[in-house]
Amino acid sequence: MTASDRTGGRRTPAAPPRDAFAGIRVADFAWVGVGPLTSKYLADHGAEVIRLESRTRPEALRRAPPFAGGQPGQDRSGYYANFNSSKLGAGLNMSHPRAVELAKRVIAGCDVVTESFTPKAMRAWGLTYEALREVRPDVIMISMPLYGATGPWSMYQGYGHVLQAASGINHMTGYRDGEPIGTGIAYTDFFVPHLAAAALIAALDHRERTGEGQHIDFGQMEAAIYATETMMLDYTVNGREQRRDGNRHPQGAPHGAFRCAPRGDDDDRWIAVACFDDGEWAALCGVLGVEGLCADPRFATPEGRKRHEDALEAAVGARTRGWQAEELMARLQAAGVPAGVAQTCEDLRADAQLAHRGHYWLLDHPEMGRCAYDGPSFRLSRTPGRLSKAAPLLGADNEYVYRDLVGLSEQEFIELLAGGAFD
Amino acid sequence: MIAAAHTHAGDVPAPGALAPFRVLDLTNELGQLCGRVLADLGADVIKVEPPGGDPSRWIAPFYRDEPHPERSLHWWMFNANKRGITLDLTHDDGRALFLELVRRSDFVLETSPPGAMAALGLGYDDLAAVRPSLVMTSITPFGQDGPYAQWKASDLIGAAMGGQIMLNGELGREPLRPTMSQAYAHAAIQAAVGTLIAHFHRTRSGEGQHVDASLEEAAATWLDNAAPFWDLVRVNLPRPGNGRSTGGRLSGKYVYEAADGYVAALSYGGLFGLNARQTIAWLDAHGAAADLASEEWLEKLDASRGVRPPLSDADAHHLVEVLEAFCRRLPRAQLMREAQAIRNGWAPVHTPRDLLEHEHLRARDYWTEVAHPELGASFVYPGPWARLGATPIALRRRAPLIGEHNDEVLGALLGLDEARLEALAAADVIERRGGGA
Repeated sequence: MTASDRTGGRRTPAAPPRDAFAGIRVADFAWVGVGPLTSKYLADHGAEVIRLESRTRPEALRRAPPFAGGQPGQDRSGYYANFNSSKLGAGLNMSHPRAVELAKRVIAGCDVVTESFTPKAMRAWGLTYEALREVRPDVIMISMPLYGATGPWSMYQGYGHVLQAASGINHMTGYRDGEPIGTGIAYTDFFVPHLAAAALIAALDHRERTGEGQHIDFGQMEAAIYATETMMLDYTVNGREQRRDGNRHPQGAPHGAFRCAPRGDDDDRWIAVACFDDGEWAALCGVLGVEGLCADPRFATPEGRKRHEDALEAAVGARTRGWQAEELMARLQAAGVPAGVAQTCEDLRADAQLAHRGHYWLLDHPEMGRCAYDGPSFRLSRTPGRLSKAAPLLGADNEYVYRDLVGLSEQEFIELLAGGAFD
Repeated sequence: MIAAAHTHAGDVPAPGALAPFRVLDLTNELGQLCGRVLADLGADVIKVEPPGGDPSRWIAPFYRDEPHPERSLHWWMFNANKRGITLDLTHDDGRALFLELVRRSDFVLETSPPGAMAALGLGYDDLAAVRPSLVMTSITPFGQDGPYAQWKASDLIGAAMGGQIMLNGELGREPLRPTMSQAYAHAAIQAAVGTLIAHFHRTRSGEGQHVDASLEEAAATWLDNAAPFWDLVRVNLPRPGNGRSTGGRLSGKYVYEAADGYVAALSYGGLFGLNARQTIAWLDAHGAAADLASEEWLEKLDASRGVRPPLSDADAHHLVEVLEAFCRRLPRAQLMREAQAIRNGWAPVHTPRDLLEHEHLRARDYWTEVAHPELGASFVYPGPWARLGATPIALRRRAPLIGEHNDEVLGALLGLDEARLEALAAADVIERRGGGA
């Protein structure tokens, strides 16, 4: 079992459980969000994932805040660290004359190759799937550019903030009459890696049973469209273009976030409430002490509550304002009303349920000290996974990768090191 | 009505990766995308519903806006590629048949409240007793145990509790979820990953296991850099509205009105950032750079010279005004094409119609036509979310009608004869072709 410590996270246990991906090795050329989050699943479940990076073209997230102690540094970004738990780090400068040869020698010892460049990069280096099969016939390669390997947009670049716009998510996110603002984050970076990982693990399973490797062309946009629920079918079937409508739901009311009382000097406290039937509505009125509202004929049926939603929301919001969000949540849940505090990241670290599940892992990093990492959101009863180490320092595992795995002689290793091959 | 370039469901070149495996899918809207992912990867996914059909068949919108359990587009979207049977699991015969199916299956997916399956005698231990190698995945709002385990949650509650909505919307106004279920989608696709990890372990070891997936926890893992911001520098990132958070500060604006819609105008390093010189030259070529084409402004904006100090509010406001005027003059496609030519990763804000007509998705044969023979019609669905070279994803069939495959599953797979099926239908344990459109 794992031990909690005072900051509400858990530590890597001394006696490791069995790892689902023990013995699987990954050459991870991917960077920023999608690729590293895809390979994080493998690393956190026991695969040996080697991040291949270059300080001459640094991984963007190593230069992105937040930094430990607020002090920038290539080995100090929490943004990078959180996506790269349990991985090894090796340097590979692709402009070095022997870089492609070294890459192939690393890949020869790997089961999986991941990359997320626009398709021209791996082609330019001659590291296509066809070429990699020559050095590793059963290799599984997943390429994860924004728009896929082929097609007129395949060479376009961007990242999660703009891909959510291209994928239809912005169109469906915002206030009713406001701009299509999207989700506030680089959203698709956090949606599509799960589908990429599902495809990759299915391919690994197929290889385990048949011996056959393959290439996966994972166009992020094509996966991100699966975040749009019925938006596309409503158009192709009914000819209707759905639109953003804040927090509202076509079949529930009240269905929104309502302001609660300040907590100390923080007057940005909200509770989400979602009522889908008369019972939940009556229970909400009971807890809020507005039985009169419940008796109001405008609000007597789900249809009526939808029709008079502005007045309904105003009446509910007027009552929630007097409550502490956490207290109201507990009272509503006890009464059977789906309700939850709109939690901040500070709240999440104190969340009793996430603490019970041990969601955050506290890992010691040589430069950053002890930091919290997200673990997987599921618990597997036999192979639960474990965050085995903090994110790698850039090039920290060069000797292991190039001496032990690739088999370079000591002299060759030193010559390549001095020549900048691992920069 | 709407023509589209697409492939047709049924044109299947090779079996999917999970073709040898069978899944019993008991999930509601919280988990149906999990089974859809496994079905797309080739598994034989059998949706098991109570007689009368799953309540999620009543989720809007509906075909021609006619509420009907066979016409929910939500049901169609998340249950395509699955077969469907009805089975009353509160009935002894129904439970016995379910256990017979479990004996012949590899996965069970379910979303009932913690303890509900065990109360029926169908908890993980019960199922593992008849099928030790089973992977059972339970998706619930908060997980199988813990202080909130019995609490209720919908998509919005999951998104709120998991921290997502506090990162979106305008300060001073209510925090926002997307106007479509996202927390559900995350819980389901993350559970699919957990399910496949368990499956891979089974392939190598023969061992089954239980996967306990949580909606709240799934939502808590899509917060971008917000969690480390709190952890490392004790900042709760503010909701950025139509701006972006960069380093805990809000940038000016990110979505702009173009001549024919909206465009997301953002590049690595912000609106100008590393490409400031090229971006200003681009605006200048359109006569839209205002006073930005000056050494003074380059010094303020060009991050390729090193990290720039934050802009004053007046300067930031001026930049937004210049960009607003520029974007309003040009159509989205031209803005994107020209932005990409100078390595600015802009993209249009696509509407559903834009997506269906999109040249790139058409060139890749993304859209897939799916026949609904009971309606005498075919409809266009989103296509493969990954292109696996050797084991392609294919959209093989529309979502099942109520009890559509009772005969083929209970008859052919379990070997029940006609008399037995009729007796089960008479006892309301199953339904025989009940639904129909």
